[in-house]
Amino acid sequence: MTRKNHFDGSRYAKILYENNQVLLGADIDWLKELRQKAMDTFVEVGLPGPRLEEWKYTNLSSMNSKTYSPLNISDKVDTAVQSKIANACINNIDGSKVVFVDGYFQSDLSVMKEEEGLILSPLSTYIKSHGDDAKALFNVTREETSLANLNSALMTDGYVIHVKQGVKLSHPIQIIHVASEKSSNKALRNKNFINIEAKATAQIIESFIGVDNVDNWQQDVTNISVAKKAQLEIYQTQLQGNETIHMDETHVEVAQDADFKHYSLNIGSKNSRTEIKPTLNGLHGNVDLCGAFLGRGGNNHDLFTHMKHLVPECESDQIYRGVLDKGGKSAFQGKVYVARDAQLTNATQSNKNLLLDRDAEANSKPELLIYADDVKCAHGATVGELDAEALFYLKSRGLDRAAAKSLLVEAFVAEVYTHVAIPAVKEKYLDLARAWLG
Amino acid sequence: MLDIKNLHVEVAGQKILKGLDLTINAGEVHAIMGPNGSGKSTLAYAICGKDGYEITEGSITYNGKDFLKLEANERAAEGAFLGFQYPVEIPGVSNMNFLKTAVNSILKYKGEDEMAAVDFLKLVRAKAAELEMDPEMLKRAVNVGFSGGEKKRNEMVQMAVLNPDFAVLDETDSGLDIDALRIVSKGINRLRSPEKSILVITHYQRLLDYVVPDFVHVLADGKIIKSGNKSLAMELEKQGYGHLGIDENAA
Repeated sequence: MTRKNHFDGSRYAKILYENNQVLLGADIDWLKELRQKAMDTFVEVGLPGPRLEEWKYTNLSSMNSKTYSPLNISDKVDTAVQSKIANACINNIDGSKVVFVDGYFQSDLSVMKEEEGLILSPLSTYIKSHGDDAKALFNVTREETSLANLNSALMTDGYVIHVKQGVKLSHPIQIIHVASEKSSNKALRNKNFINIEAKATAQIIESFIGVDNVDNWQQDVTNISVAKKAQLEIYQTQLQGNETIHMDETHVEVAQDADFKHYSLNIGSKNSRTEIKPTLNGLHGNVDLCGAFLGRGGNNHDLFTHMKHLVPECESDQIYRGVLDKGGKSAFQGKVYVARDAQLTNATQSNKNLLLDRDAEANSKPELLIYADDVKCAHGATVGELDAEALFYLKSRGLDRAAAKSLLVEAFVAEVYTHVAIPAVKEKYLDLARAWLG
Repeated sequence: MLDIKNLHVEVAGQKILKGLDLTINAGEVHAIMGPNGSGKSTLAYAICGKDGYEITEGSITYNGKDFLKLEANERAAEGAFLGFQYPVEIPGVSNMNFLKTAVNSILKYKGEDEMAAVDFLKLVRAKAAELEMDPEMLKRAVNVGFSGGEKKRNEMVQMAVLNPDFAVLDETDSGLDIDALRIVSKGINRLRSPEKSILVITHYQRLLDYVVPDFVHVLADGKIIKSGNKSLAMELEKQGYGHLGIDENAA
């Protein structure tokens, strides 16, 4: 069965063998073992194929003949890449800036500010400085996808953010991942861990940037835990190059009275796949997932969410907007699972898509699996064109067609970011959307 | 100012206007009345350039310019304003942002500089106050969640800010209570001046008690069949369209 639905991944075993000395923790036995085990599990299954329902809209067959091997750590980052990093940073936000170039932490370009109750560290350092804790992080049993196993086997670095009990971070942490021209035919794999202890709060701004015409594969996996009464907000932007395969998989455990918010904006890459999988496992937990994807000229955006309500009286809201212009494709697959015991769940999901051209495609697939009988679950999915009446209304007030169109599309996208708590981040989202509209 | 000659308009292949003539000079207020389906709104849309309203014959000339060659936004920039019967809701776009974009688009068309933000704010606040609009509503999305009366009041605020030379008001009075009608009339009367012209399209005589027209025309089956002064409106109110030989239920 796996043969039919998956592409063979056995060639990656060779990559592990050949790069064992380059990869993270070459001298740490438990990690080497973990890598080998993860690789064996991956090879048994392989890369997900288009016949798997969950991968229906992202066809990885073009990757089938290629091997994306890891890069060596680059000691010199050229000025073009440096200026890209500077652009991606929000300057008027104080706080740490953590920079990864081609999958490796770059201390020269990063600003690591110490703060009481915060451990902020690249994974490569953390496994040495916090050996047992690191081992514990990896030892958590999870339902791993084959790609998550591949990530474990071949990761080069990542970040660890650990906020201690009751600590409210004074500033958001910015994380910038950049893929340079050196990453052609290479894979960039980071594994990240975020642990927000009880009553702590944190905000993370994460940007993925790259260069056009470089065929590379970024594949990140982030494991998050938001403890009792803790709050975490993540703000992502994805502006990878036009030949990049971008994958970002996020697992979140949300405890009692905890609050998790995840915002995203996907603009770049040939294939982008964003997976967000929150599990609500404490009473009165709250999750908000908000995002937009803008595609044209060969962009394919695939947004996959899996919201698991395991206990009663939790709330989750999802709002996603897609704008597809000529040659753009998208899919939103939103799964909501409500366990038998999760009574009084309140879950909403909304995905609206706007097609600006006849040669554009948007797919929307809400999937509700509800096993409790006293719940509120609302979902809505639409695909449409710009409202001709609204366009005429604006034109009748003097706006030319292009201005009227931008105003309407901007408003459509802006709805997602209404409640963004950091003004500079909200501005960045809207600026990027405006720039995309041209 | 506006010269319409032998205007024929089709919508989705259906002939709606069938040879309409109308001349409006500077300083004049004209009212067009007529039963439902006579082509009143079609006339408004044809003047302001809505897509799908195909001019098969005739001409519309505005200040000597061939209006039919201009896009809707260019007609607006030339000084024409359409007050909508059903103003459109635009989620996510604030009234303020909408008005600013409109004002600056028109200035750009004319080759003039954008208005300074402070001046613009003052202008909009003043106009909103004149028309008794709560300034909070300027921050809200265009017409979203507005009542019928609030939407029409918003049309009047837009008109006051854009200060057009010529306004077509398409059943601006429909569905209004007496207070809203008073505000809308105030908005129209404030625009009135020797340099400006107004075309009021209405089904009822009621609005014309507040906005007294210089000329009244009766539109039926795509043509103007009778013109007169304000007494024609009174006559229609008393005797109905039937007495002019119009079957009001025909449409």
